[in-house]
Amino acid sequence: MPGADKETELSERIEAFLSELKRCGSGAGSLRGSAETARETTSLLRRITAQARWSNAGDLMEIIRKEGRRMTAGQPSETTVGNMVRRVLKIIREEYARSRGSTEEADQQESLHKLLTSGGSSEDNFRQHFTHLKANVIEAINELLTELEGTTDNISMQALEHIHSNEVIMTIGRSRTVEAFLKDAARKRKFHVIVAECAPFCQGHEMATSLSKEDIETTVIPDAAIFAVMSRVNKVIIGTQTVLANGGLRAVNGTHTLALAAKHHSTPLIVCAPMFKLSPQVSDTPFTRFSEILSKVNAHCPVFDYVPPELITLFISNIGGNAPSYIYRLMSELYHPEDHEL
Amino acid sequence: MEEAELVEYFRAQIRGDPDVASAVAAIRSLLEFLRRDQSETILGLRENMTQAIRRLEETDSSVAVSSGGELFLRFISLTSLEHPDLSQCKNVMIERGELFLKKISLSRGKVGKLCHTFIKDGAKILTHSSSRVVLKVLENAAADNKRFTVYVTESQPDSAGKRMAQKLRKLNIPVMVVLDAAVGYIMEKVDLVIVGAEGVVESGGVINKIGTYQMAVCSKAHNKPFYVVAESFKFVRLYPLNQQDVPDRFKYTADILKTVKDLNQEHPMIDYTPPSLITLLFTDLGVLTPSAVSDELIKLYL
Repeated sequence: MPGADKETELSERIEAFLSELKRCGSGAGSLRGSAETARETTSLLRRITAQARWSNAGDLMEIIRKEGRRMTAGQPSETTVGNMVRRVLKIIREEYARSRGSTEEADQQESLHKLLTSGGSSEDNFRQHFTHLKANVIEAINELLTELEGTTDNISMQALEHIHSNEVIMTIGRSRTVEAFLKDAARKRKFHVIVAECAPFCQGHEMATSLSKEDIETTVIPDAAIFAVMSRVNKVIIGTQTVLANGGLRAVNGTHTLALAAKHHSTPLIVCAPMFKLSPQVSDTPFTRFSEILSKVNAHCPVFDYVPPELITLFISNIGGNAPSYIYRLMSELYHPEDHEL
Repeated sequence: MEEAELVEYFRAQIRGDPDVASAVAAIRSLLEFLRRDQSETILGLRENMTQAIRRLEETDSSVAVSSGGELFLRFISLTSLEHPDLSQCKNVMIERGELFLKKISLSRGKVGKLCHTFIKDGAKILTHSSSRVVLKVLENAAADNKRFTVYVTESQPDSAGKRMAQKLRKLNIPVMVVLDAAVGYIMEKVDLVIVGAEGVVESGGVINKIGTYQMAVCSKAHNKPFYVVAESFKFVRLYPLNQQDVPDRFKYTADILKTVKDLNQEHPMIDYTPPSLITLLFTDLGVLTPSAVSDELIKLYL
C-alpha cells in the first residue's frame, strides 16, 4: 500500500538522521558543520509535513514536536536541530493564523498589554482544518531553506565594514563562518590573522592552512600565548556553536579565555553567528560535555565554554550587526515562547 | 463607594489573605470600586478612579500598589477606547477585570516554576528580607527534591528576614539568618543571590527593601549571579538615575509621610538597584534581561 510505504520510508529517514546525529557526537561520524545540520533538519521537517498524516495544525505541531524531542535527545549539544524545529513550529502557527484571517498575533508573546486587553477566549487549539495549510507551510519552509543557504554569504558581505587595512585579527579554532568572512575581506584588504590553535583537536591548524591558501598572512599560536599576544591585536573575530537567549555564547573550549583577554585589553570581540544558532536556552553554569581523547587516562576535557554577554561587543548575523543586549528581541521574533520547551 | 469603604475593603483583602500581593489586593478593591461606581460618563469614571488610587496610595505607600493602580487606570483607558458607550464599556471592563485578576493571581506560580530550575543541587542561596515570590521559588525547588541552603539577611529596621527564616524552616529548608552588615563576609560562600522586588522600573532596575543595592554591588564584585523575581504587574513607569531620584512617597511608610516634618531625618525603607548589577529578571512574562523590561513597558504604555 502506497500510504504505508511512504510512512515506513519516512520513519527510515528519521532513524537514519538520528543515528547520524548520534555518531557525530562521539567523533566517529563525519564532522559536519552546523549549517549542514540545520539544512538537513529543515528538509527532514519538510518531508514530515508533506508525508505524515495530519488533518489540522495541532496534529502537525504534535508530530513535529515529538520528532523534535527525539532528535534533540539524540544529540543534546547540537542545538541547531532544536532551533530549526522551533522555527518550523512558529511557521506553522503563523500560517494557521493567516489562514484564519486573524489580524492580531503579530505580537504573539505574553505581554502586559495582552494581559489587559484580551477578551478571554484567546486560547487557540489549532484544531481547525484548512485545505491550503499544507501547501502554505511547505512553501514557508522552502523560504526558510533558501534563507539558510544564504546565511554565510550574507555574513561575509558585511566583512568589509568591519575589517580595515593592516589590521591584526585574532581568532580561535576553526569556524566556517569566520573563514568565509575573512576570505571575503581579503579580496579587497590586506591584513594579518593570528589563529589560536585550540587544543586538543587543534582545528586552528586547518583554519590557518585554509586562510593562507588565499594569501592571507596567518600565524598560529598555542592557546597559552593568547594573553601575551593580545596587546598587538586590533579585533577578535570568533564563531560559536550556540548563541544563548541572554546574549551569552556556548563556544569551543578556550573562547572564554580569549574573551577575558580581549576585555582586559579593551579589544572588541565580534561574534559571527547565523540566526539559526540562536537558542532559547539560558544558562550560566559551565557546560561539561566530555569527549574521549585517551582511553587509559582520566582526562576531563570539556568541549564547550560559556562566555557571558558582558565580554561580547557585537554579533554579526545574516540580518546585520546587533548588540548582545538585543538578542532577546531577535529570539522573540524567531520562536514562540510556548515552543521554548519542546 | 465612599473612600473610607474602599480603604476598608482593601485592608480586609490583606487581612483575609496575608499571602496575597498588595498590588493584587489593590486591583481587586479598585474593581469593586468600579462595580459600585455611579458615574455617568467615562471621564467621571476616570476621575473617581484616580481619586481612589490616590487614596489607596496614602494607605499603603509601597511601589507595588502604585504600579497596580496605574496598570488598572491604563486598563480602563484601553477598554474605554474600544467601547465609547459607558454602560457597555462598564460590562466589558468588569468582565475583563475579573479575567485580568485571575491571570495575575497565577503570576507568582508561573515565576516560581520558571526560576526553580536555576537552583542546582547543593546550591547556597542568599536572599534579602522577606519576599513571597522568593519563598514560592524556594518552595518549588524544595518540592523538586533539590538540596540547598539559604542565607537570609536580618533586614532591619523591621527584621523581616527573621520572618522569612521561620517560613523557610517550616518547609524544612536549612536556613541561616545573617546580619545586614555581613553580606560582604558571606558573599564568597554563596553561589547565587535571589531577591524579590517591590517595583521594576523602566531601565530594568528594581526598587526593593533597603539593603538590596548593597547586596547587588557585593555580588557583582564577587562575580555571583544576581537574580530578581517579580510578577509583571510590578513594572512601573519610573526612570530613576540614582537613589535620590526615587520619589519620597515610596521611600517612607504612609504614616511617616503624614506625620513627620523633616524627612531627611528618617531612614528610607527602599533603595534602587541599577540594571547593570542585575543578571536576569524572572517574571511571568518569561526570563528577561534588564534591557527587555523597557520593551515590555513600551508595548503597554504606547
